[in-house]
Amino acid sequence: MTQVTEVVKLRRRVLTEIARLTFSGELIENISDILNTVVTEDGPRYRCCIHKERAVLQERIKLALSQPADVSLEAAAQNAVNGIIADMPVVQVMPIACDQCPIDKFLVTNACRNCLAHHCINSCPKKAIMVVQNRAYIDKTKCIECGLCKKSCPYGAIIEVNRPCEGACDLKAITAGSDRRALIDYDKCVQCGGCKTACPFGAIIDRAEIVQLIQALKSGKRVYAIMAPAFIGQFGPKIHASQVIGALKQAGFHEVYEASFGADIVTIEETAEFLGSVPERRPFMTTSCCPAFVGMVEKHLPDIEHIVSSTVSPMIATGKVIKEQDPEAVTVFIGPCIAKKAEAERSRGVIDLTVTFEELACVLVGAGINITAMTEADYKSMASLTANDFARAGGVIQAVIKHAEKANAGANIKPHRAEGLSNCKMALLQMKAGKSDANFFEGMACSGGCVGGPGVLTNPKVTGKLVENYAASSEYKTATDNQNVVETLNKGGYWHTK
Amino acid sequence: MALIAIEICMGSACYLLGAQDLLEAIESLPPEKKAKIDLRGATCLKACGSGPNIKIDGVLMSNITPEQLLNLINEKIDR
Repeated sequence: MTQVTEVVKLRRRVLTEIARLTFSGELIENISDILNTVVTEDGPRYRCCIHKERAVLQERIKLALSQPADVSLEAAAQNAVNGIIADMPVVQVMPIACDQCPIDKFLVTNACRNCLAHHCINSCPKKAIMVVQNRAYIDKTKCIECGLCKKSCPYGAIIEVNRPCEGACDLKAITAGSDRRALIDYDKCVQCGGCKTACPFGAIIDRAEIVQLIQALKSGKRVYAIMAPAFIGQFGPKIHASQVIGALKQAGFHEVYEASFGADIVTIEETAEFLGSVPERRPFMTTSCCPAFVGMVEKHLPDIEHIVSSTVSPMIATGKVIKEQDPEAVTVFIGPCIAKKAEAERSRGVIDLTVTFEELACVLVGAGINITAMTEADYKSMASLTANDFARAGGVIQAVIKHAEKANAGANIKPHRAEGLSNCKMALLQMKAGKSDANFFEGMACSGGCVGGPGVLTNPKVTGKLVENYAASSEYKTATDNQNVVETLNKGGYWHTK
Repeated sequence: MALIAIEICMGSACYLLGAQDLLEAIESLPPEKKAKIDLRGATCLKACGSGPNIKIDGVLMSNITPEQLLNLINEKIDR
Protein backbone atom coordinates (compact mmCIF):
# COMPACT_ATOMS: atom_id res chain seq x y z
CA MET A 1 0.00 0.00 0.00
CA THR A 2 1.22 3.46 -0.78
CA GLN A 3 2.40 5.17 2.37
CA VAL A 4 3.29 8.53 0.89
CA THR A 5 -0.03 9.88 -0.38
CA GLU A 6 -0.55 13.25 -2.05
CA VAL A 7 -1.61 14.65 1.34
CA VAL A 8 1.67 13.52 2.86
CA LYS A 9 3.70 14.85 -0.08
CA LEU A 10 2.04 18.24 0.14
CA ARG A 11 2.77 18.50 3.88
CA ARG A 12 6.39 17.51 3.37
CA ARG A 13 6.92 19.91 0.46
CA VAL A 14 5.65 22.80 2.59
CA LEU A 15 7.86 21.89 5.54
CA THR A 16 10.90 21.43 3.27
CA GLU A 17 10.36 24.80 1.56
CA ILE A 18 10.00 26.54 4.92
CA ALA A 19 13.21 24.87 6.12
CA ARG A 20 15.10 25.80 2.97
CA LEU A 21 14.07 29.46 3.19
CA THR A 22 14.91 29.58 6.91
CA PHE A 23 18.40 28.18 6.32
CA SER A 24 19.06 30.72 3.58
CA GLY A 25 17.71 33.56 5.73
CA GLU A 26 14.96 34.58 3.29
CA LEU A 27 11.91 33.24 5.12
CA ILE A 28 10.39 36.57 6.12
CA GLU A 29 10.78 38.24 2.69
CA ASN A 30 9.88 35.22 0.60
CA ILE A 31 7.34 33.31 2.69
CA SER A 32 4.51 33.98 0.23
CA ASP A 33 6.57 32.40 -2.59
CA ILE A 34 5.65 29.05 -1.06
CA LEU A 35 2.06 29.68 -2.15
CA ASN A 36 3.29 29.62 -5.77
CA THR A 37 6.01 26.98 -5.58
CA VAL A 38 3.94 24.34 -3.81
CA VAL A 39 0.59 25.04 -5.52
CA THR A 40 1.34 25.64 -9.20
CA GLU A 41 -0.94 26.66 -12.06
CA ASP A 42 -0.60 23.26 -13.76
CA GLY A 43 -1.71 21.30 -10.72
CA PRO A 44 -2.22 18.65 -9.59
CA ARG A 45 -5.56 20.02 -8.29
CA TYR A 46 -6.73 18.70 -4.94
CA ARG A 47 -9.52 21.19 -4.41
CA CYS A 48 -12.14 23.10 -6.41
CA CYS A 49 -9.66 25.73 -7.58
CA ILE A 50 -6.18 27.12 -7.12
CA HIS A 51 -7.50 29.92 -4.89
CA LYS A 52 -8.96 27.55 -2.34
CA GLU A 53 -5.74 25.52 -2.41
CA ARG A 54 -3.69 28.62 -1.68
CA ALA A 55 -6.07 29.69 1.08
CA VAL A 56 -5.65 26.26 2.72
CA LEU A 57 -1.91 26.46 2.19
CA GLN A 58 -1.72 29.80 4.05
CA GLU A 59 -3.26 28.15 7.12
CA ARG A 60 -0.94 25.18 6.75
CA ILE A 61 2.12 27.43 6.62
CA LYS A 62 1.08 29.38 9.72
CA LEU A 63 0.63 26.17 11.71
CA ALA A 64 3.97 24.90 10.40
CA LEU A 65 5.42 28.07 11.92
CA SER A 66 3.49 27.50 15.21
CA GLN A 67 1.64 30.79 14.74
CA PRO A 68 -2.10 31.57 15.02
CA ALA A 69 -4.35 31.92 11.98
CA ASP A 70 -5.20 35.59 12.58
CA VAL A 71 -1.75 37.04 11.82
CA SER A 72 -0.36 37.75 8.35
CA LEU A 73 2.05 35.29 6.74
CA GLU A 74 4.92 37.77 7.06
CA ALA A 75 4.21 38.46 10.73
CA ALA A 76 3.95 34.72 11.35
CA ALA A 77 7.34 34.19 9.69
CA GLN A 78 8.86 37.04 11.72
CA ASN A 79 7.58 35.55 15.00
CA ALA A 80 8.85 32.07 14.13
CA VAL A 81 12.27 33.43 13.17
CA ASN A 82 12.36 35.16 16.55
CA GLY A 83 11.83 31.76 18.17
CA ILE A 84 8.27 32.39 19.31
CA ILE A 85 5.91 29.43 19.63
CA ALA A 86 2.32 30.63 19.99
CA ASP A 87 0.33 29.37 22.97
CA MET A 88 -2.08 27.02 21.19
CA PRO A 89 -3.01 23.33 21.05
CA VAL A 90 -0.57 21.02 19.28
CA VAL A 91 -3.16 19.29 17.08
CA GLN A 92 -5.61 21.53 15.25
CA VAL A 93 -8.31 21.38 12.59
CA MET A 94 -7.92 23.84 9.72
CA PRO A 95 -11.62 24.74 9.28
CA ILE A 96 -11.13 25.87 5.68
CA ALA A 97 -9.51 22.56 4.73
CA CYS A 98 -12.15 20.35 6.38
CA ASP A 99 -14.41 18.92 3.68
CA GLN A 100 -17.42 18.66 6.01
CA CYS A 101 -17.78 14.92 5.51
CA PRO A 102 -21.34 13.58 5.85
CA ILE A 103 -22.63 12.89 9.32
CA ASP A 104 -25.36 10.45 8.27
CA LYS A 105 -24.01 7.13 9.31
CA PHE A 106 -26.16 4.97 7.03
CA LEU A 107 -26.88 5.90 3.44
CA VAL A 108 -28.99 4.17 0.78
CA THR A 109 -27.05 4.05 -2.48
CA ASN A 110 -28.03 3.69 -6.16
CA ALA A 111 -27.72 -0.07 -5.75
CA CYS A 112 -31.17 -0.10 -4.10
CA ARG A 113 -33.63 -1.87 -6.42
CA ASN A 114 -36.82 -1.21 -4.46
CA CYS A 115 -37.34 -4.97 -4.19
CA LEU A 116 -40.53 -6.62 -3.00
CA ALA A 117 -39.14 -8.14 0.17
CA HIS A 118 -38.02 -4.84 1.71
CA HIS A 119 -35.78 -6.46 4.30
CA CYS A 120 -34.54 -3.00 5.25
CA ILE A 121 -38.00 -1.76 6.23
CA ASN A 122 -38.78 -4.98 8.07
CA SER A 123 -35.48 -4.99 9.96
CA CYS A 124 -35.72 -1.42 11.20
CA PRO A 125 -36.74 -1.38 14.89
CA LYS A 126 -37.65 2.32 14.71
CA LYS A 127 -39.69 2.28 11.49
CA ALA A 128 -37.30 4.88 10.09
CA ILE A 129 -37.21 3.50 6.54
CA MET A 130 -39.76 4.21 3.82
CA VAL A 131 -39.77 4.12 0.03
CA VAL A 132 -39.37 7.49 -1.66
CA GLN A 133 -39.05 7.84 -5.44
CA ASN A 134 -38.65 4.11 -6.00
CA ARG A 135 -35.85 3.77 -3.49
CA ALA A 136 -35.50 3.15 0.25
CA TYR A 137 -35.08 6.30 2.29
CA ILE A 138 -33.83 6.59 5.89
CA ASP A 139 -35.56 9.21 8.03
CA LYS A 140 -32.66 10.72 9.97
CA THR A 141 -34.92 11.98 12.73
CA LYS A 142 -35.91 8.41 13.61
CA CYS A 143 -32.71 6.50 12.76
CA ILE A 144 -30.73 5.29 15.78
CA GLU A 145 -27.79 4.07 13.66
CA CYS A 146 -28.14 0.43 14.73
CA GLY A 147 -27.02 -0.86 11.32
CA LEU A 148 -29.63 -3.64 11.01
CA CYS A 149 -30.82 -2.32 7.62
CA LYS A 150 -27.30 -2.49 6.25
CA LYS A 151 -26.99 -6.10 7.36
CA SER A 152 -30.40 -7.02 5.97
CA CYS A 153 -30.03 -5.73 2.38
CA PRO A 154 -29.21 -8.60 -0.01
CA TYR A 155 -27.71 -6.11 -2.51
CA GLY A 156 -25.48 -4.41 0.03
CA ALA A 157 -27.15 -1.19 -1.09
CA ILE A 158 -26.97 0.48 2.32
CA ILE A 159 -23.54 1.66 3.28
CA GLU A 160 -22.03 2.78 6.54
CA VAL A 161 -20.19 6.10 6.36
CA ASN A 162 -17.69 6.98 9.04
CA ARG A 163 -15.95 10.31 9.30
CA PRO A 164 -12.30 9.21 9.25
CA CYS A 165 -11.29 11.63 12.02
CA GLU A 166 -14.06 10.45 14.34
CA GLY A 167 -13.29 6.82 13.54
CA ALA A 168 -9.62 7.35 14.42
CA CYS A 169 -10.27 9.03 17.76
CA ASP A 170 -10.51 6.46 20.54
CA LEU A 171 -11.49 9.15 23.03
CA LYS A 172 -14.40 10.71 21.11
CA ALA A 173 -12.62 14.06 21.25
CA ILE A 174 -13.37 15.06 17.66
CA THR A 175 -16.92 15.57 16.43
CA ALA A 176 -18.80 17.35 13.69
CA GLY A 177 -19.78 20.92 14.52
CA SER A 178 -23.10 22.47 13.46
CA ASP A 179 -21.59 23.23 10.01
CA ARG A 180 -20.30 19.63 9.83
CA ARG A 181 -16.70 20.80 10.14
CA ALA A 182 -14.57 18.82 12.58
CA LEU A 183 -14.17 20.25 16.06
CA ILE A 184 -11.69 19.04 18.67
CA ASP A 185 -12.77 19.03 22.32
CA TYR A 186 -9.50 19.80 24.08
CA ASP A 187 -10.89 18.66 27.43
CA LYS A 188 -10.87 15.17 25.94
CA CYS A 189 -8.03 15.33 23.36
CA VAL A 190 -4.59 14.00 24.34
CA GLN A 191 -2.86 15.12 21.09
CA CYS A 192 -2.07 11.58 19.93
CA GLY A 193 -2.33 12.57 16.26
CA GLY A 194 -4.64 9.73 15.23
CA CYS A 195 -7.04 12.10 13.48
CA LYS A 196 -4.21 13.83 11.62
CA THR A 197 -3.10 10.55 10.09
CA ALA A 198 -6.68 9.54 9.30
CA CYS A 199 -7.95 12.68 7.53
CA PRO A 200 -7.73 12.11 3.76
CA PHE A 201 -8.02 15.87 3.15
CA GLY A 202 -5.03 16.73 5.32
CA ALA A 203 -7.26 19.10 7.26
CA ILE A 204 -5.85 18.26 10.67
CA ILE A 205 -2.28 19.16 11.43
CA ASP A 206 0.12 19.55 14.30
CA ARG A 207 2.02 22.77 14.79
CA ALA A 208 5.70 22.49 13.96
CA GLU A 209 8.78 24.02 15.56
CA ILE A 210 11.20 23.63 12.65
CA VAL A 211 11.89 27.33 12.06
CA GLN A 212 12.59 27.81 15.75
CA LEU A 213 14.94 24.80 15.57
CA ILE A 214 16.80 26.04 12.49
CA GLN A 215 17.21 29.49 14.08
CA ALA A 216 18.74 27.83 17.16
CA LEU A 217 21.09 25.82 14.93
CA LYS A 218 22.14 29.01 13.12
CA SER A 219 22.59 31.00 16.35
CA GLY A 220 25.79 29.23 17.39
CA LYS A 221 24.17 27.97 20.62
CA ARG A 222 24.97 24.41 21.63
CA VAL A 223 21.96 22.47 20.32
CA TYR A 224 21.59 18.86 21.51
CA ALA A 225 19.47 16.32 19.65
CA ILE A 226 17.68 13.68 21.72
CA MET A 227 16.81 10.90 19.29
CA ALA A 228 13.90 8.63 20.22
CA PRO A 229 14.87 4.93 19.91
CA ALA A 230 12.45 4.51 16.98
CA PHE A 231 14.90 6.50 14.82
CA ILE A 232 16.50 3.33 13.48
CA GLY A 233 15.46 2.84 9.85
CA GLN A 234 13.34 6.01 9.68
CA PHE A 235 15.41 7.66 6.95
CA GLY A 236 15.69 4.52 4.82
CA PRO A 237 15.94 0.86 5.85
CA LYS A 238 19.62 0.71 4.95
CA ILE A 239 20.67 3.93 6.71
CA HIS A 240 23.09 3.30 9.60
CA ALA A 241 22.70 5.13 12.93
CA SER A 242 26.09 6.79 12.39
CA GLN A 243 24.88 8.34 9.12
CA VAL A 244 21.91 9.94 10.87
CA ILE A 245 24.20 11.30 13.57
CA GLY A 246 26.63 12.58 10.93
CA ALA A 247 23.77 14.36 9.13
CA LEU A 248 22.59 15.97 12.39
CA LYS A 249 26.11 17.24 13.15
CA GLN A 250 26.39 18.62 9.62
CA ALA A 251 23.09 20.46 10.13
CA GLY A 252 24.63 22.18 13.14
CA PHE A 253 23.73 20.00 16.14
CA HIS A 254 26.43 20.14 18.80
CA GLU A 255 25.83 16.64 20.18
CA VAL A 256 23.42 13.75 19.62
CA TYR A 257 21.98 11.78 22.54
CA GLU A 258 19.78 8.74 22.30
CA ALA A 259 16.60 9.01 24.39
CA SER A 260 17.21 5.36 25.21
CA PHE A 261 19.93 6.59 27.60
CA GLY A 262 17.08 8.15 29.56
CA ALA A 263 15.13 4.92 29.10
CA ASP A 264 17.82 3.07 31.09
CA ILE A 265 17.40 5.61 33.90
CA VAL A 266 13.61 5.21 33.68
CA THR A 267 13.92 1.40 33.84
CA ILE A 268 15.87 1.55 37.10
CA GLU A 269 13.70 4.26 38.67
CA GLU A 270 10.39 2.78 37.56
CA THR A 271 11.32 -0.69 38.81
CA ALA A 272 12.25 0.76 42.22
CA GLU A 273 9.03 2.75 42.27
CA PHE A 274 7.01 -0.37 41.45
CA LEU A 275 8.68 -2.58 44.06
CA GLY A 276 8.24 0.18 46.65
CA SER A 277 4.56 0.87 46.03
CA VAL A 278 2.80 -2.25 44.69
CA PRO A 279 0.79 -3.75 46.30
CA GLU A 280 1.21 -1.83 49.58
CA ARG A 281 0.25 1.66 48.38
CA ARG A 282 -1.60 0.86 45.15
CA PRO A 283 -2.93 -2.37 43.64
CA PHE A 284 -1.12 -1.88 40.34
CA MET A 285 1.06 0.60 38.50
CA THR A 286 1.30 1.73 34.89
CA THR A 287 4.16 3.02 32.77
CA SER A 288 4.48 6.74 32.12
CA CYS A 289 6.59 7.09 28.95
CA CYS A 290 3.72 7.48 26.47
CA PRO A 291 2.34 11.02 26.94
CA ALA A 292 -0.92 10.26 25.12
CA PHE A 293 -1.54 7.29 27.43
CA VAL A 294 -0.78 9.38 30.52
CA GLY A 295 -3.07 12.12 29.15
CA MET A 296 -5.83 9.57 28.60
CA VAL A 297 -5.68 8.46 32.25
CA GLU A 298 -5.59 12.08 33.50
CA LYS A 299 -8.52 13.22 31.35
CA HIS A 300 -10.67 10.10 31.11
CA LEU A 301 -9.92 8.06 34.24
CA PRO A 302 -9.06 10.79 36.77
CA ASP A 303 -10.09 8.64 39.74
CA ILE A 304 -7.18 6.25 39.12
CA GLU A 305 -4.57 8.87 38.19
CA HIS A 306 -2.42 7.72 41.12
CA ILE A 307 -1.71 4.38 39.43
CA VAL A 308 0.46 6.06 36.76
CA SER A 309 4.16 5.88 37.57
CA SER A 310 5.57 9.22 38.69
CA THR A 311 8.87 8.44 36.97
CA VAL A 312 9.64 10.93 34.20
CA SER A 313 9.68 9.85 30.56
CA PRO A 314 12.95 8.86 28.84
CA MET A 315 12.79 12.17 26.92
CA ILE A 316 12.69 14.21 30.14
CA ALA A 317 15.35 12.04 31.85
CA THR A 318 17.73 12.54 28.92
CA GLY A 319 16.97 16.28 28.84
CA LYS A 320 17.77 16.53 32.55
CA VAL A 321 21.10 14.75 32.05
CA ILE A 322 22.07 17.18 29.27
CA LYS A 323 20.97 20.32 31.13
CA GLU A 324 22.86 19.16 34.23
CA GLN A 325 26.08 18.87 32.21
CA ASP A 326 25.53 21.99 30.11
CA PRO A 327 23.06 24.52 31.50
CA GLU A 328 23.36 26.57 28.28
CA ALA A 329 22.24 23.64 26.15
CA VAL A 330 19.27 23.88 23.78
CA THR A 331 17.60 20.45 23.99
CA VAL A 332 15.64 19.18 20.99
CA PHE A 333 13.62 15.98 21.16
CA ILE A 334 13.29 14.22 17.81
CA GLY A 335 10.80 11.39 17.69
CA PRO A 336 7.80 9.69 16.10
CA CYS A 337 5.39 11.42 18.45
CA ILE A 338 3.10 14.43 18.32
CA ALA A 339 1.94 14.19 21.95
CA LYS A 340 5.58 14.72 22.99
CA LYS A 341 5.24 18.30 21.74
CA ALA A 342 2.64 18.92 24.43
CA GLU A 343 4.63 17.01 27.05
CA ALA A 344 7.73 19.09 26.26
CA GLU A 345 5.66 22.26 26.51
CA ARG A 346 4.74 21.30 30.08
CA SER A 347 8.44 20.73 30.84
CA ARG A 348 9.99 23.81 29.24
CA GLY A 349 13.44 24.29 30.66
CA VAL A 350 14.15 20.58 30.26
CA ILE A 351 13.12 20.17 26.63
CA ASP A 352 13.26 23.34 24.54
CA LEU A 353 11.99 22.13 21.16
CA THR A 354 10.29 19.03 19.76
CA VAL A 355 10.17 17.84 16.15
CA THR A 356 9.04 14.61 14.53
CA PHE A 357 11.21 12.39 12.31
CA GLU A 358 9.22 13.66 9.35
CA GLU A 359 9.91 17.28 10.29
CA LEU A 360 13.59 16.52 10.90
CA ALA A 361 13.93 14.94 7.44
CA CYS A 362 12.36 18.09 5.93
CA VAL A 363 14.86 20.22 7.88
CA LEU A 364 17.79 18.14 6.59
CA VAL A 365 16.55 18.23 2.99
CA GLY A 366 15.98 21.98 3.38
CA ALA A 367 19.63 22.26 4.47
CA GLY A 368 20.69 20.32 1.37
CA ILE A 369 21.86 17.34 3.41
CA ASN A 370 21.45 13.86 1.94
CA ILE A 371 21.68 11.18 4.65
CA THR A 372 22.40 8.41 2.13
CA ALA A 373 25.56 10.29 1.11
CA MET A 374 26.92 10.39 4.71
CA THR A 375 29.84 8.05 5.43
CA GLU A 376 29.21 5.18 7.79
CA ALA A 377 31.30 5.11 10.95
CA ASP A 378 31.66 2.84 13.96
CA TYR A 379 28.87 3.57 16.37
CA LYS A 380 27.60 1.79 19.43
CA SER A 381 24.34 2.70 21.11
CA MET A 382 24.75 4.66 24.35
CA ALA A 383 22.01 2.55 25.93
CA SER A 384 21.17 -1.05 26.74
CA LEU A 385 19.30 -3.60 24.64
CA THR A 386 16.21 -3.27 26.84
CA ALA A 387 16.23 0.55 26.60
CA ASN A 388 16.42 0.51 22.80
CA ASP A 389 13.43 -1.80 22.78
CA PHE A 390 11.30 0.93 24.43
CA ALA A 391 10.43 1.88 20.84
CA ARG A 392 8.42 -1.31 20.41
CA ALA A 393 5.22 -2.25 22.22
CA GLY A 394 6.08 -4.52 25.14
CA GLY A 395 9.57 -3.07 25.45
CA VAL A 396 9.08 -1.24 28.74
CA ILE A 397 7.65 -4.35 30.41
CA GLN A 398 10.65 -6.41 29.26
CA ALA A 399 13.12 -3.79 30.48
CA VAL A 400 11.53 -3.57 33.93
CA ILE A 401 11.25 -7.36 34.32
CA LYS A 402 14.85 -7.96 33.19
CA HIS A 403 16.07 -5.32 35.62
CA ALA A 404 13.93 -6.65 38.49
CA GLU A 405 15.27 -10.16 37.85
CA LYS A 406 18.73 -8.91 38.80
CA ALA A 407 17.36 -8.12 42.25
CA ASN A 408 15.49 -11.47 42.26
CA ALA A 409 12.21 -9.59 42.19
CA GLY A 410 11.17 -10.47 38.64
CA ALA A 411 8.48 -12.84 39.87
CA ASN A 412 6.70 -10.02 41.71
CA ILE A 413 5.78 -8.40 38.42
CA LYS A 414 2.68 -9.66 36.64
CA PRO A 415 2.60 -7.71 33.42
CA HIS A 416 -0.24 -6.74 31.12
CA ARG A 417 -0.19 -4.36 28.19
CA ALA A 418 -2.29 -2.78 25.46
CA GLU A 419 -1.84 -0.70 22.32
CA GLY A 420 -4.37 1.91 21.27
CA LEU A 421 -6.03 4.27 23.74
CA SER A 422 -9.41 2.58 23.85
CA ASN A 423 -7.77 -0.82 24.45
CA CYS A 424 -5.67 0.75 27.21
CA LYS A 425 -8.74 2.33 28.77
CA MET A 426 -10.66 -0.94 28.69
CA ALA A 427 -7.75 -2.89 30.20
CA LEU A 428 -7.34 -0.36 33.01
CA LEU A 429 -11.06 -0.47 33.82
CA GLN A 430 -10.83 -4.25 34.09
CA MET A 431 -7.77 -4.04 36.31
CA LYS A 432 -9.48 -1.42 38.47
CA ALA A 433 -12.49 -3.73 38.85
CA GLY A 434 -10.13 -6.49 39.98
CA LYS A 435 -10.86 -8.67 36.96
CA SER A 436 -7.16 -9.24 36.25
CA ASP A 437 -4.33 -10.38 38.50
CA ALA A 438 -1.81 -8.24 36.56
CA ASN A 439 -0.10 -5.55 38.62
CA PHE A 440 2.07 -3.77 36.05
CA PHE A 441 0.56 -2.24 32.93
CA GLU A 442 2.26 -0.84 29.85
CA GLY A 443 0.10 1.59 27.92
CA MET A 444 0.93 2.68 24.37
CA ALA A 445 -1.34 4.96 22.35
CA CYS A 446 0.05 3.88 18.99
CA SER A 447 -0.30 0.46 17.45
CA GLY A 448 3.05 -1.32 17.65
CA GLY A 449 4.38 1.23 20.13
CA CYS A 450 6.46 4.29 19.22
CA VAL A 451 7.55 2.85 15.84
CA GLY A 452 3.87 3.22 14.86
CA GLY A 453 3.70 6.90 15.78
CA PRO A 454 2.19 9.62 13.56
CA GLY A 455 5.54 11.32 12.90
CA VAL A 456 7.34 8.36 11.34
CA LEU A 457 8.68 8.01 7.80
CA THR A 458 8.95 4.25 7.44
CA ASN A 459 6.49 1.36 7.70
CA PRO A 460 6.32 0.33 11.39
CA LYS A 461 6.70 -3.35 10.48
CA VAL A 462 10.06 -2.59 8.86
CA THR A 463 11.32 -0.31 11.62
CA GLY A 464 10.10 -2.66 14.35
CA LYS A 465 12.41 -5.36 13.01
CA LEU A 466 15.31 -2.92 12.49
CA VAL A 467 14.96 -1.56 16.04
CA GLU A 468 15.01 -5.14 17.34
CA ASN A 469 18.28 -5.83 15.47
CA TYR A 470 19.82 -2.55 16.62
CA ALA A 471 18.83 -3.27 20.22
CA ALA A 472 20.41 -6.72 19.99
CA SER A 473 23.68 -5.10 18.92
CA SER A 474 23.84 -3.01 22.13
CA GLU A 475 26.93 -3.45 24.27
CA TYR A 476 24.86 -3.57 27.45
CA LYS A 477 22.09 -6.09 27.96
CA THR A 478 20.16 -4.44 30.81
CA ALA A 479 19.99 -1.00 32.38
CA THR A 480 22.52 -1.62 35.15
CA ASP A 481 25.12 -2.96 32.69
CA ASN A 482 25.23 0.61 31.40
CA GLN A 483 27.98 2.12 33.59
CA ASN A 484 27.31 5.69 32.42
CA VAL A 485 23.71 5.39 33.57
CA VAL A 486 24.71 3.91 36.94
CA GLU A 487 27.22 6.75 37.45
CA THR A 488 24.60 9.34 36.49
CA LEU A 489 22.17 7.89 39.04
CA ASN A 490 24.89 7.74 41.73
CA LYS A 491 25.35 11.49 41.35
CA GLY A 492 21.78 11.90 42.58
CA GLY A 493 19.11 13.86 40.75
CA TYR A 494 15.35 13.72 40.89
CA TRP A 495 13.61 11.56 38.31
CA HIS A 496 9.95 11.94 39.23
CA THR A 497 7.19 14.32 38.25
CA LYS A 498 5.68 14.65 41.70
CA MET B 1 15.85 -9.14 -24.65
CA ALA B 2 17.96 -6.72 -22.62
CA LEU B 3 16.93 -6.10 -19.02
CA ILE B 4 15.08 -2.89 -18.17
CA ALA B 5 17.54 -0.79 -16.18
CA ILE B 6 15.81 1.03 -13.32
CA GLU B 7 17.60 3.25 -10.84
CA ILE B 8 15.53 4.48 -7.89
CA CYS B 9 16.91 7.45 -5.99
CA MET B 10 16.98 6.66 -2.27
CA GLY B 11 18.40 10.07 -1.28
CA SER B 12 16.72 11.88 1.62
CA ALA B 13 14.67 14.25 -0.57
CA CYS B 14 13.26 11.40 -2.66
CA TYR B 15 12.78 9.14 0.36
CA LEU B 16 10.64 11.87 1.91
CA LEU B 17 8.45 11.99 -1.20
CA GLY B 18 7.85 8.25 -1.50
CA ALA B 19 10.88 6.49 -3.02
CA GLN B 20 10.25 3.54 -0.72
CA ASP B 21 6.77 3.09 -2.21
CA LEU B 22 8.35 2.85 -5.69
CA LEU B 23 10.75 0.19 -4.48
CA GLU B 24 7.89 -1.77 -2.88
CA ALA B 25 5.84 -1.52 -6.09
CA ILE B 26 8.67 -3.24 -7.98
CA GLU B 27 9.22 -5.80 -5.21
CA SER B 28 5.55 -6.74 -5.43
CA LEU B 29 5.71 -7.58 -9.15
CA PRO B 30 5.33 -11.25 -10.15
CA PRO B 31 8.71 -13.05 -10.45
CA GLU B 32 8.57 -13.32 -14.26
CA LYS B 33 8.32 -9.55 -14.57
CA LYS B 34 10.87 -8.88 -11.86
CA ALA B 35 13.34 -11.11 -13.75
CA LYS B 36 13.25 -8.62 -16.62
CA ILE B 37 14.35 -5.72 -14.44
CA ASP B 38 17.85 -4.71 -13.41
CA LEU B 39 17.02 -2.71 -10.26
CA ARG B 40 19.55 -0.44 -8.60
CA GLY B 41 19.47 2.19 -5.88
CA ALA B 42 21.01 5.63 -6.37
CA THR B 43 22.04 8.19 -3.75
CA CYS B 44 21.16 11.23 -5.86
CA LEU B 45 19.94 11.79 -9.43
CA LYS B 46 20.43 15.57 -9.17
CA ALA B 47 16.78 16.58 -9.39
CA CYS B 48 16.03 16.81 -5.66
CA GLY B 49 13.33 19.48 -5.95
CA SER B 50 10.97 17.31 -7.97
CA GLY B 51 11.24 13.84 -6.44
CA PRO B 52 10.76 11.01 -6.24
CA ASN B 53 13.15 10.49 -9.15
CA ILE B 54 14.02 7.39 -11.13
CA LYS B 55 16.09 6.59 -14.21
CA ILE B 56 14.58 4.05 -16.53
CA ASP B 57 16.96 2.88 -19.28
CA GLY B 58 19.02 5.97 -18.62
CA VAL B 59 16.14 8.46 -18.89
CA LEU B 60 15.43 10.60 -15.82
CA MET B 61 11.79 10.75 -14.73
CA SER B 62 10.64 12.98 -11.88
CA ASN B 63 7.66 13.11 -9.54
CA ILE B 64 6.84 9.47 -10.25
CA THR B 65 4.01 7.58 -8.53
CA PRO B 66 4.02 3.79 -8.04
CA GLU B 67 1.17 3.44 -10.60
CA GLN B 68 3.10 5.43 -13.22
CA LEU B 69 6.20 3.34 -12.60
CA LEU B 70 4.32 0.06 -13.01
CA ASN B 71 2.72 1.36 -16.24
CA LEU B 72 6.15 2.28 -17.61
CA ILE B 73 7.48 -1.16 -16.77
CA ASN B 74 4.51 -2.93 -18.36
CA GLU B 75 4.85 -0.84 -21.53
CA LYS B 76 8.53 -1.75 -21.81
CA ILE B 77 7.84 -5.43 -21.23
CA ASP B 78 5.02 -5.55 -23.78
CA ARG B 79 7.08 -3.82 -26.44
